[in-house]
Amino acid sequence: MPDLPTSKPALAGKAPLQGVQFAVEALPEGHLLQLMGPTTLDELRALFDTFGLGGSVIRAAGFRQWYVMGEAPLEPAALRGIAGALPRGVFLSDQSHGRVRIRVSGPRAAQVLARGTAVDLHGSQFPAGAAAMTLFGHIPVHLSRTGEAEFELTVLRSFAEALFGELEPFAA
Amino acid sequence: MASLITCPHCGQRPKEEFTIKGDAGLTRPAPDADADVWYDYVYLRDNPKGLHKEYWHHSSGCRRWLIVERDTVTHKVHSVADAALAELGGAA
Repeated sequence: MPDLPTSKPALAGKAPLQGVQFAVEALPEGHLLQLMGPTTLDELRALFDTFGLGGSVIRAAGFRQWYVMGEAPLEPAALRGIAGALPRGVFLSDQSHGRVRIRVSGPRAAQVLARGTAVDLHGSQFPAGAAAMTLFGHIPVHLSRTGEAEFELTVLRSFAEALFGELEPFAA
Repeated sequence: MASLITCPHCGQRPKEEFTIKGDAGLTRPAPDADADVWYDYVYLRDNPKGLHKEYWHHSSGCRRWLIVERDTVTHKVHSVADAALAELGGAA
């Protein structure tokens, strides 16, 4: 049945682009969980470590909100296990197929991102490890700094192509 | 219009990240209140000159509801507080 929809990444076919001092790359769609509730980063870290997800990163996404992201897909059983082990009042929403990650890097990365977002990206205000929910142009994104000249953008799946398209010219 | 709002959770952000949701000073009438009272509550608004409290939703940020107290004449923002936490008596 050729007309059946097939599952494919939102940015399938988008090759990593390396330009002058700026690179943009779609990250694999592994797992991406959104957590909300009265907990702490340490508590979440310990919880995800016990489920063998020590390699997943946990990033703040606003007051009492976190994103847990990793490159390996999560089995439904593992997800149910985590959901059942959450602290009281903490809720989980599986966004693995709802949000896409894009990595931008290079000495010009902060300069390019500053064209789209109002967050102060100077190293003293937004150091490696910092994360913020913000707008890039008109697209809501979760922006995190993973290194001195390396950032990750998490964006709703339906906006992924538009956002990638906005960044492409800078890596040409 | 105030163009920069200091969100208690996210820091200083431009107004484009927010959605203004109206007067924060209204009190919801009792369910059995007079139709005139309800009409007033639902449709009629003051247009104050000077200090004004409004709900602002940080829709493209932390998605928290804030209470912004601002001056409609000078555009100065006097205070920004998390609406839910302020209601509960906690500091934002």
